[in-house]
Amino acid sequence: MHGYFGAYGLVALLLVVGAVFVTVALTANRLLRPARPTPQKLLTYECGVDPVGGGWAQSYVRYYVFTFLYVVFAVDAVFLFPWATVFAAPGFGVATLVEMFVFLGFLAVGILYAWRKGVLSWA
Amino acid sequence: MLALQPPPQAPIDAPQIEYSAILPVLILLGAACIGVLVEAFVSKASRWAAQVTLSLLAILGAGLAFVLYVTDSPERGLTTLYRTIAVDRPALFLWGTLLALGLGALLLIADRTVERGGAFVAQAGIRPGTVQDRAQMASGGMQTEVFPLTLFALSGMMIFCAANDLLTMFIALEVLSLPLYLMCGLARRRRLISQESAVKYFLLGAFASAFFLYGLALLYGYAGSVKLADIANAAAGSAASDTLLFGGFGLLVVGLMFKASVGPFHAWTPDVYQGSPTPITAFMAACTKVAAFGGILRVLTVGFESTSWEWRGVLWVVAVASMVIGAVLGLTQTDIKRMLAYSSIAHAGFLLVGALALRPEGLSGTLFYLLTYGFTTLAAFGAVSLVRDSNGEATHLSQWAGLAKRSPVLAWVFAFLLLAMAGIPLTSGFIGKFVVFSAGIQDGMAPLVVIALVASAVAAFFYLRVIVLMFFSDPAPDGPTVTVPGTFTTAAITLGVLVTLVLGLVPAFALDWAGTGTFAF
Amino acid sequence: MTPTYYLLLSALLFTIGAVGVLVRRNAIVVFMCVELMLNAVNLTLVTFARINGSLDGQVMAFFVMVVAAAEVVVGLAIIMSIFRTRRTASVDDANLLKY
Repeated sequence: MHGYFGAYGLVALLLVVGAVFVTVALTANRLLRPARPTPQKLLTYECGVDPVGGGWAQSYVRYYVFTFLYVVFAVDAVFLFPWATVFAAPGFGVATLVEMFVFLGFLAVGILYAWRKGVLSWA
Repeated sequence: MLALQPPPQAPIDAPQIEYSAILPVLILLGAACIGVLVEAFVSKASRWAAQVTLSLLAILGAGLAFVLYVTDSPERGLTTLYRTIAVDRPALFLWGTLLALGLGALLLIADRTVERGGAFVAQAGIRPGTVQDRAQMASGGMQTEVFPLTLFALSGMMIFCAANDLLTMFIALEVLSLPLYLMCGLARRRRLISQESAVKYFLLGAFASAFFLYGLALLYGYAGSVKLADIANAAAGSAASDTLLFGGFGLLVVGLMFKASVGPFHAWTPDVYQGSPTPITAFMAACTKVAAFGGILRVLTVGFESTSWEWRGVLWVVAVASMVIGAVLGLTQTDIKRMLAYSSIAHAGFLLVGALALRPEGLSGTLFYLLTYGFTTLAAFGAVSLVRDSNGEATHLSQWAGLAKRSPVLAWVFAFLLLAMAGIPLTSGFIGKFVVFSAGIQDGMAPLVVIALVASAVAAFFYLRVIVLMFFSDPAPDGPTVTVPGTFTTAAITLGVLVTLVLGLVPAFALDWAGTGTFAF
Repeated sequence: MTPTYYLLLSALLFTIGAVGVLVRRNAIVVFMCVELMLNAVNLTLVTFARINGSLDGQVMAFFVMVVAAAEVVVGLAIIMSIFRTRRTASVDDANLLKY
């Protein structure tokens, strides 16, 4: 296929072929197989033994705390990367360096608070 | 091949920072960070005293820095930090107002005599309704993180009033909002509705911030810059499509009006005011409204005055909607905090009339009205927190019947504050409404002012209804009692009442302060 | 490929996010739609930076990302507190405060 949208057309064709493939295969399966469900056959599969417990498990709040600490320091890194590429260029004085350490200082206040509140230990 | 060196830069000049001008904000932010460290390192027993001392010193220190700067501040104002912060006369007036209101709100937050242990939960992680929750309700501790959060919110509000470009305004909006979302959920009693109000405020606030941000993006596309002055210049003559300008303006206004609780973007206000702990409601009702209208005034005057002919009609409709919603729906309320919330929506409509009059009288009138309204509201919510029964605050109107017989002082104080909100002469509310409406008439918005007067009269009815209820009804036999307030709450309420009275009798000095100077950009 | 397509895409994403906030019942999904709106704004800012030929839009996108991250932290804490109490994150169930 040619033209500006040729590449996109090819991808679209691939998606359609993939979808048709899956649909045909599953439909053929459903039409050709016998279907005699019993209560035991409809149970959730759990490695061959009888399933235990409900479908939902309790998650620990700890995961949330580590996640948000990670997110906060990731966006901190987002600011560090552009600064790191230019701060040594001529014209940027010591002020640039000190400024970034002030920024890191504010984040350090946050992590000190988190550390003292016992959030950083796993157990 | 990879380029290992970035291309050579021209030497960058460090920006000129006028530290003396922005020192109040820096003091508050520094104190908030120290407050976080106090939270981390000070033992639980002495944390409350340390935080209260630190916060009071911070606000007083910021007030001192503010007074020292304002006595010899330049008439035209100055812009600093690469023209992102404009410390001009309106901004300085609002900073002074915010610092004074912040002091009052902090006194209400720090009070532990009206409710044992204070209005805030002792441990926010405990689920409401459990045995541990009942135990912590009766205990004496409180979650003292509220103090640094208050200082962060207050500094965000100050930056919001002085922000000269939309990006700084957005960041200040988030800095002021995020602590408020958290503090709304920290009530000691009735934590279910407190948490519910926090969720509602957060989801709706995030939604409105996203609208503000999309408006910012469209205006950036229109003008090539987010500085308000550049947007005004681009509006004068630009090749880009006007759709971007007005679409951006519309979305920006949605975000701003949400924060100022102007109808029809007011849906969060009654629920959040009712569910939050009362000191936080006082803080929000007074300070957030001042900050939000500071931002609205700056955006409308500096950024969009040149195109005002196009958008005035729409904002007329918004102002009318706010006044009518506030006045009419306030009539049906049976909870006093919700009633005060709807009255704040009506007042937001009146303030918007002043903001729409794009002239110096409109600016000074709106600033004065913000000052008077802030103190009246602060004292009103302080008084509401004093009427209690065994379940905590008694906020249903029927419980306020006959309060004058039990506690005449509270009844007279609250009646005075309600009359001030209604705009009765001899109170500051009357002067505030007078200057705002006269600015509106001078600007040719007579129909709007007529509607405002009618809405004022309707709103006065529900204020007077409460006064009649307090003075001329019989108290219920098992009704609430009025707690004798401790030093902090007394100081806060007295401050509000005194300012309301003084500004009603001799408003000239405050009107002069509000009227000096105009926006710098 | 004109940048207008990107503007249309971001407007579409913003609208989908806005409709999602209004229609969906789970508080986490509502919040995800708010984040979708913020990311649509990021796309708009970067596209306008390209159209205007300056880098300001990309720098502003950084700021928006940081603010969105902070908002996520605060918001999920609030939603989690309400979830632990009520065992449900449905916004329809937050109906104690009424008209």
